[in-house]
Amino acid sequence: MTKCKLSRRKFLKALGGVAAAATIGTPAVHAQTPVLKTTAWGGKWGEVLKGQVIPAFEKQFKCKVETDSAFPYYPKLQSTPKNAPLYDVLHTNTSEQWQAVVEGLVEPKLSAKDIPNLADLYAYATSDKICGVSAFTSAIGFGYRTDKGLSEPKSWKDLADPKFAGARGSYIIPVNSLGQMHLMMLGKLYGKGLTDLDAAYKALEQLKPIKMYDFTGGMEKALLSAEVNIGVLHDSGIYRYDGQNQPVAFAAPSEGVLSLEQVWNITPGTKMRELANQYINFILSPDVQKTLCEAVWYSPSNKKVKLGPNYDSKLYNTEAKVAQLIQVDWKWYNERKDDIDARVTRILRG
Amino acid sequence: MSQRFDGAYAVYLTLNGAIVAFLLLPIAVVIVFALNPTPYIAFPPVGVTLRWFVKFFTSPEFMNALWLSFYVAVVVVILSTVIGAMCALAIARGNLPGPRLLTTVFLSPLMLPAILTGLALFQLFMLAGVGRPVWGLIVGHTLVAVPYVLRTTLAVLQDFDRRVEEAAAMLGASPARVFFEVTLPLIRPGVIAGGIFAFIVSFDQLPISLFLVVPSGETLPVVLLNYIRFDLDGAIAAASTVSIVLALSAVVLLERIIGLRAYVRL
Repeated sequence: MTKCKLSRRKFLKALGGVAAAATIGTPAVHAQTPVLKTTAWGGKWGEVLKGQVIPAFEKQFKCKVETDSAFPYYPKLQSTPKNAPLYDVLHTNTSEQWQAVVEGLVEPKLSAKDIPNLADLYAYATSDKICGVSAFTSAIGFGYRTDKGLSEPKSWKDLADPKFAGARGSYIIPVNSLGQMHLMMLGKLYGKGLTDLDAAYKALEQLKPIKMYDFTGGMEKALLSAEVNIGVLHDSGIYRYDGQNQPVAFAAPSEGVLSLEQVWNITPGTKMRELANQYINFILSPDVQKTLCEAVWYSPSNKKVKLGPNYDSKLYNTEAKVAQLIQVDWKWYNERKDDIDARVTRILRG
Repeated sequence: MSQRFDGAYAVYLTLNGAIVAFLLLPIAVVIVFALNPTPYIAFPPVGVTLRWFVKFFTSPEFMNALWLSFYVAVVVVILSTVIGAMCALAIARGNLPGPRLLTTVFLSPLMLPAILTGLALFQLFMLAGVGRPVWGLIVGHTLVAVPYVLRTTLAVLQDFDRRVEEAAAMLGASPARVFFEVTLPLIRPGVIAGGIFAFIVSFDQLPISLFLVVPSGETLPVVLLNYIRFDLDGAIAAASTVSIVLALSAVVLLERIIGLRAYVRL
C-alpha cells in the first residue's frame, strides 16, 4: 500500500501559506487609470454589459469601470459618506432611485449639457416620474400560457376571472416593484386612480387565491412549468424565450402597460463626474442601446435606435407605442410603503 | 429459519428512513434539476443533459466566484480553527472570570442576524476608510465561523483527562511539547469538526458576503443570487451540485489527510 506523501505538517504549512496570502489583499489597480464605480444587474444583462459594453467604454475613455452586482445597493450607498460615495453612477430601478434622491444620495435631474444623448430620448425617460434618466424600459402586462385554451387577456381585469383562481400569479408586494405597480394599477382599474389604495386593497382581496413570487425569474418559471396560467410580468420576461418553442406569450392590456424603467443616476459627491456623465451618455448612445435591448429584450429610450425586425415589432420604440406606458409616482408610494406593506400582508395572509 | 417480526424495529427503521429522505431529497431534486434539459424544474425529468454544467464551467463569472469562495473558505478554516481552539482552551483552562459569559460573548455572532453583521462590518470598513478588501470578507466569515470551532472544541475539553498532560510534563516534556504532542491530538476531533463547519459556513455564506464582496470579486452564493433574479435555469442547480460535491470532497480530503475517524467518537 502506498502511503500518502503529503504529511500533516506539510499540509498545515501549505494552508498557512494560503492564509498569509490573504493578507496581500486585492490586486493593485493601475494608479493612473481613473476608476468609475457603478452597479449592474446579473444574468444575461450583466454578461453583455461586462463582456461587451464596459470594455468598449474603458477602451474609448481610457478608464476602468468597477461594477458592483451584489445587492442591496441602496443601504451600501447610504452607509458611505456623501462626499465619498461608494458609487459614482447608480443603476437601479425607479423606486430605489427615488429613495436615494430623497436622501440626497443621487441627483434629482441630469443635464443635457453634460449628457448630450439626453436630447434624443422619449419624453417618459426624463419625465417628472424619473430622477436621473431611464435608459431602458420593459412593459409590464401579462404573461400567459398559450396551450391551455385561453384567449389572449385584453384587460388588467381579466386577472380576476374566476377561471384563474389558484392559477394566477403576482408578486410579494413589500419586496417586488412589479407587485407594487400592480397594486397601484388595481387602484386605477377599480377606483379613482393609481393612488386609490382603498380600491386597490379591495381588488387585491378579490384576486385570492393568487400565487405570489419574489422575483420575475420565479414568475417566468412558474409560467413555463404551468404552475400558473397567467401572471403579471414584463415583456422581456416572455420574449427572452422567443424561438425556444415555449407555450407562453405576452399580452399588453388595453388600459396600458406599466413601465419598468432601468434608471441611471449620478451621486452628488462623486469625484468622477465627467466620467460618470460620459458613461451615462455612452449607455444612451444608439449602438449601446441596440446591443443591450437586443440582448435582453428591453425597449430603448433613445429615439434614434434602429432595432432588428423581430425586436422592432415587439418592443416599445415609437412615440405611439411609448404613449401606452404608464409611469407611477414612486415618491408618493415610498412615503406610504410601510403602511401599504402591513396592509397587503394582512390581506394576503388572511 | 424464520425470524419474528419486530414491530418496534420496523417503526425505528421507517422513522430513520423518513429522516434520511427528508435530509437527502432536496439534494436529489437539485441534482435532477441540474441534469434536466428544461429551463425550469420539471418532474418527472424529460431527459438527461450536461448543458447546465457546461454553462456553469464555461462561465468566467461562475468560475471566478467558485475559486474565490473556495479560497476564502480555506483561509477561514485556518483562522477560525486557530482562534476558536485558542479561545476554547482559554475558557476551559484559563481560570478566567465568568467563563459562561465569555462563551456567550464568543457565540454571539450566531445570535445576531448575519445580514446585520454584514452591514455593521461594511459600515465599519467604510468609516475606517479601508474599503472592501478580501481580508475584510475573510474577517466577516471568520467572525461567524469561530463560534462553531469554539463550541465543538469546548465539547471535547469537557471530558479531557488532564492527568495525561500532567504525566507528560512529569516525564520532562516542555509545555510546548505537551501542547503539540498531547493536548492538540486529543482535542483534534473537536477542532476538525469545527473546521468542517467553518468551511461550510464560509463557502455558503451569503448575507455577510453581500455587503463585503468587491466588484469583480464576488463569491459563488452572491453570483448565484444575482443570477437567479434574472436567469433561473439549470445552471443554478449545476452550481449547487458542484458546491455539494466540493463540500463533500473537502470532508473526504480532511478525513484522508488528518483523519476524521476520531471525530466519530465525539
